[in-house]
Amino acid sequence: MARVMAMSRLTAHPAGILGGGGAAIYVLFIGLPVIALLVRAAQQGDFLAAVTGDLALTALRLSIMTSVISMAVVVLLGTPFAYLLARSDSLWARVVDSLVELPLVLPPVVAGVAMLMAFGRGGLIGPGLENIGITLPFTTAAVVFAQIFVASPFFIRAAKLGFQSVTKDYEDVAQTLGVSPWRTFFRITLPLAGPAMFTGLGLAWARALSEFGATMMFAGNLTGETQTMPLAIMTAMDTSLDSALALSVLLLAGSVFVLVLLGLLTRRKWQGR
Amino acid sequence: MIQQNGGAVAKGWVQCQVGNFRLDTEWEIAPGQVLVLFGPSGAGKSTTLRSIAGLLRPVRGHVEVGGRVVYDEDAAVWVPTHQRRLGYLTQQYHLFPHLKVADNIAFGLRDRNSSDSKDRVAELSSLLQLGGLDDRYPWELSGGQQQRVALARALAPRPAMLLLDEPFASLDAELRRTLRRELRTMLAHSPVPVMLVTHDREEALALGDSVQVINEGRTLVTGEPLDVLGQPGQGRVARLVGVENLFDLAIQERNPRDGTMTCVAEGLRLEVPLDAHLSGGATAEGEQDRVTVGIRASDIILAKEELTGSSARNRLQGQVVSVESRPPGYAVTLDCGQPLRCHITGAALEEMSIEVGQQLWAVFKASSCFLVDETPAAETAFRG
Repeated sequence: MARVMAMSRLTAHPAGILGGGGAAIYVLFIGLPVIALLVRAAQQGDFLAAVTGDLALTALRLSIMTSVISMAVVVLLGTPFAYLLARSDSLWARVVDSLVELPLVLPPVVAGVAMLMAFGRGGLIGPGLENIGITLPFTTAAVVFAQIFVASPFFIRAAKLGFQSVTKDYEDVAQTLGVSPWRTFFRITLPLAGPAMFTGLGLAWARALSEFGATMMFAGNLTGETQTMPLAIMTAMDTSLDSALALSVLLLAGSVFVLVLLGLLTRRKWQGR
Repeated sequence: MIQQNGGAVAKGWVQCQVGNFRLDTEWEIAPGQVLVLFGPSGAGKSTTLRSIAGLLRPVRGHVEVGGRVVYDEDAAVWVPTHQRRLGYLTQQYHLFPHLKVADNIAFGLRDRNSSDSKDRVAELSSLLQLGGLDDRYPWELSGGQQQRVALARALAPRPAMLLLDEPFASLDAELRRTLRRELRTMLAHSPVPVMLVTHDREEALALGDSVQVINEGRTLVTGEPLDVLGQPGQGRVARLVGVENLFDLAIQERNPRDGTMTCVAEGLRLEVPLDAHLSGGATAEGEQDRVTVGIRASDIILAKEELTGSSARNRLQGQVVSVESRPPGYAVTLDCGQPLRCHITGAALEEMSIEVGQQLWAVFKASSCFLVDETPAAETAFRG
């Protein structure tokens, strides 16, 4: 009832009319290319063959494997880090906090070059790593590094906001009830911040799956080793538009799947406090 | 029947420093007794609770809970919060929003799935009238129910001391009274020492076995609730506890035979108790000629005609300047040369059909007037 009234009041409001127009244009702008992609892919005859082809499956497998690894690293290291950022108000924490946003504004290609300068053959610590038998550039590990670099801020920021929304009073009360700080974290803080963390994980995962620039620079484009889905699409464009289309649809489906899955996980059974 | 085994005195003292704020306080509470910390916001009441709970580290101090030293700076004793066996109730309850009522109550129990735990939860739910709410989430409860769940959760692990931080502040007056009564009953069942923070005078009187008035981090006075809050002897305390009428009067005549004296101010003439007992020392040599007198609004009787032939020593005539609702009754202000605030019931207001502009008589005994010491040195000094 209230919502209906608010809506009708909005449509009479100039902001409502402008906003409605804007929304329509936006939906078209985003929706049209997606629909076009699906229509063109459906029109081609050997869509299934392209989707299940070697190129596609190899790239898909690599994309899934690397993104799962990078997300595991991001969650394991990013969660305590985000908690620290949320609870600390020291100058140090604030400086680090703004550093977290750097990868968001840095062009991925630049990130790739920077990582090459650090871990590459002639890089800052690359030779040292090589001495102990570790070579990073142009390996599958480099793909994971690139994904972590560009995608982690999405998770860390969301997790930090999630932890901040759990006021310290909940933790205080839990401890007065005889529950240790560790158990309090797992029984109170983590479940309450969970929805926000899943949202962040969804965004980070989608970003890792679509990562292109930094991977290209730092990991290269080796089939089966560093050629993830976006790189495979780029490569396929040179030879056959059809397989590029098929791969694109596959990646689109994968991204939508991740969003829907995590969307389901972020639904909470309780309401705001 | 709930039997607590926390039958030990809770006592201690702390000195805390939070930013520029300094707190210096001490307490001693017998099992089953309620000590009310009374004072304005920012006085240091919550800081006291938090330092007892171990949520804040004092600069110095010694805290005993359940017969055990949980903090002593000099002896380097620091027991972390979760091992102090406390029940801590916050003003916003902080029920865990992702847990159902039963899980909230059982949160502090060791083995939550044991039959003992289930019995304990059932026992507390029935005692606090929470039956049938086990599967609800906190947001599905009314304010009073939330408060009861928070109390049940705090009591479930059988704490050795209860810390209540304005537990009824966000409830309406009616519910507050009911819950106060329930809390009293609970305490009879489980005799643990209770420290209760409030700035509500009525609450302090209803629940406190003793009252400690604190302001700006210092204890001004500790004593029986009626002594401290009814006729406070100190000016600062009187203002803090909200004595409605405070007059600055000149002493005109002392009548030692009656134990009274006559004091005047512009348009006002009062019979008040003799100032011989006044602490503060000013009366020892040269008697002072000015005095501050307090009268509680609820000690004043309003009459339509002059009440002659009564024992009341004070009869003042004045015009009604305002009538305000002050649940559960009304506050009537008379202009008797100086404004005089009186509290009456709604029934009295109707019966007398009191209106603004009306002439009324205010009647009260000399002993309803109490002298207030304005000497600033009246603070209780601590381990000096």
